Amino acid sequence: MISKLFEFLYTKVFINIIVENTQTVVYVEVCSSKSVLQSMHKYFDTTTMNSKMYEFINAYYKESPFCYISVLDKSPLQGAIPTCNTNEMSKYCDINSSEYRCYAKNWAFYTSEYDLEAIKHEYRSIGVDFIFSPFAMMANFFKDKIENTLAMFLLIEDNYISFSVFDNSKLLYAQYLNMNHNKESDELLMESSLDDGDEDMSLGIEGIDLEEIDIEDDSVGFDDFTNIEDLDDTDSIDEFSQEQDIHEISQKEEQYVSADGFNEDYQRFSLIQSALNIFYKDPKYNSKFIENIYIADGVGVSGDLKNYLEEEMFLSVFIRKIDLGVALCDMAKAEI
Amino acid sequence: MKYSYIKPRHKTVFTKDIQLLLTFFSVTLFMLFSTYAFLLFRDYRFVEEVADINEQKSELRAGILKMSDEIATIEKQSLLAEKVFTKNSVLRDSIANLFDLVPSRITLSEAKIMEDGLILYGITPNKDVYNFMLQAPLRSIFHRTYSSFYPDKNGWLRFVSTNYIDEEEEIGNEN
Repeated sequence: MISKLFEFLYTKVFINIIVENTQTVVYVEVCSSKSVLQSMHKYFDTTTMNSKMYEFINAYYKESPFCYISVLDKSPLQGAIPTCNTNEMSKYCDINSSEYRCYAKNWAFYTSEYDLEAIKHEYRSIGVDFIFSPFAMMANFFKDKIENTLAMFLLIEDNYISFSVFDNSKLLYAQYLNMNHNKESDELLMESSLDDGDEDMSLGIEGIDLEEIDIEDDSVGFDDFTNIEDLDDTDSIDEFSQEQDIHEISQKEEQYVSADGFNEDYQRFSLIQSALNIFYKDPKYNSKFIENIYIADGVGVSGDLKNYLEEEMFLSVFIRKIDLGVALCDMAKAEI
Repeated sequence: MKYSYIKPRHKTVFTKDIQLLLTFFSVTLFMLFSTYAFLLFRDYRFVEEVADINEQKSELRAGILKMSDEIATIEKQSLLAEKVFTKNSVLRDSIANLFDLVPSRITLSEAKIMEDGLILYGITPNKDVYNFMLQAPLRSIFHRTYSSFYPDKNGWLRFVSTNYIDEEEEIGNEN
């Protein structure tokens, strides 16, 4: 009773940590019982806890005894499964070494216990109160759409994509896609997708046929991806490579930067396509034909990704911007 | 919603600083209340002692009054005893005097001593012996003296002497 009274009198501080590829974003929100008093994003050029980040967080941590630190889980071994039944879970993941939570008693998201301990260990100096799954975050973000749509739902983070397919709030398939991992084993993935080409044809997915063409082009190099949106015009790659030679050296650098962004979007597109392939082909999952895709954009993807998805996979694409820090903060608030 | 993989740490407003502060205030308040309670207790005991003393005082007063009454009673009894003793002494002396009054020739058979009188029964050889040797001293003592005679078998006379002291004169004498 006294604690509740004091809780009402004190401000609540929510510190939300999102680790990106090369930096860490710390979103801080100071709330009174009724309103948000202060909110700010702070970027640190590190992916681990350093002294600057510690000092920054500790300064806010000392502000109120009701300070909650949330971390977005980045474990590559996480995912979501279309059941809450523990007996069935083992069909989809190694449940013994995983921690899981059920979402609305329909489906569950899980992560590696080892990675949870690693997060706790990483932030042991300040402690962690909540570790959230990006799947839960995505489900909350698209709650209005998930309940009454059959569609793909994506949460795009800096290096990861939380890929899921929902049919009227029932999870059909989910996968946590790692772009770094994809880079390393890009060629291997492409080869495997090439091998599966005939099966994709039998499923009748036109977009996948186009992807196979792209992958063949990828073997040339990712620098050529800037013109991928022109593939529908069936221009030859040779012409494109000639055009590239014409550019001046000063413009090349800019091209590389834009090519990186493009490259990332293509990588994302490639990953999405692969994941959708698995969904269609794996007999474990109840596959249905997907026409819509909802994307929660946490990094600011370019229009290229939308174009690929629309033009090559013939999907209706809906993109919503998401501030991961704010979304994480909202989840932390809901937990209290 | 419980979507976090881990439970949040227990949050409390009672940080170490607050705990120290609360401990200090608690100890201070405890000491204050202890002192207050001690003073209340002492006050209560004092009031109780005052009540006890007042009770004892009233008891003692009652005792004193009782003892005063007893002393008065004893004094009265003492006075009475003295009076009785004096009266008895007077009576003894009167009886002794009475027997001293009776000459050897007259024999008393009965004597009744009353508050205000004396009745003597006896035998006298004759009236003269009685009149001169007994009635004369009786007359000097009593205000009124009546004598009556009747003969006995052996020729002697039996007599009854009734003597009275008048109360008025006695009261007058006492005053």
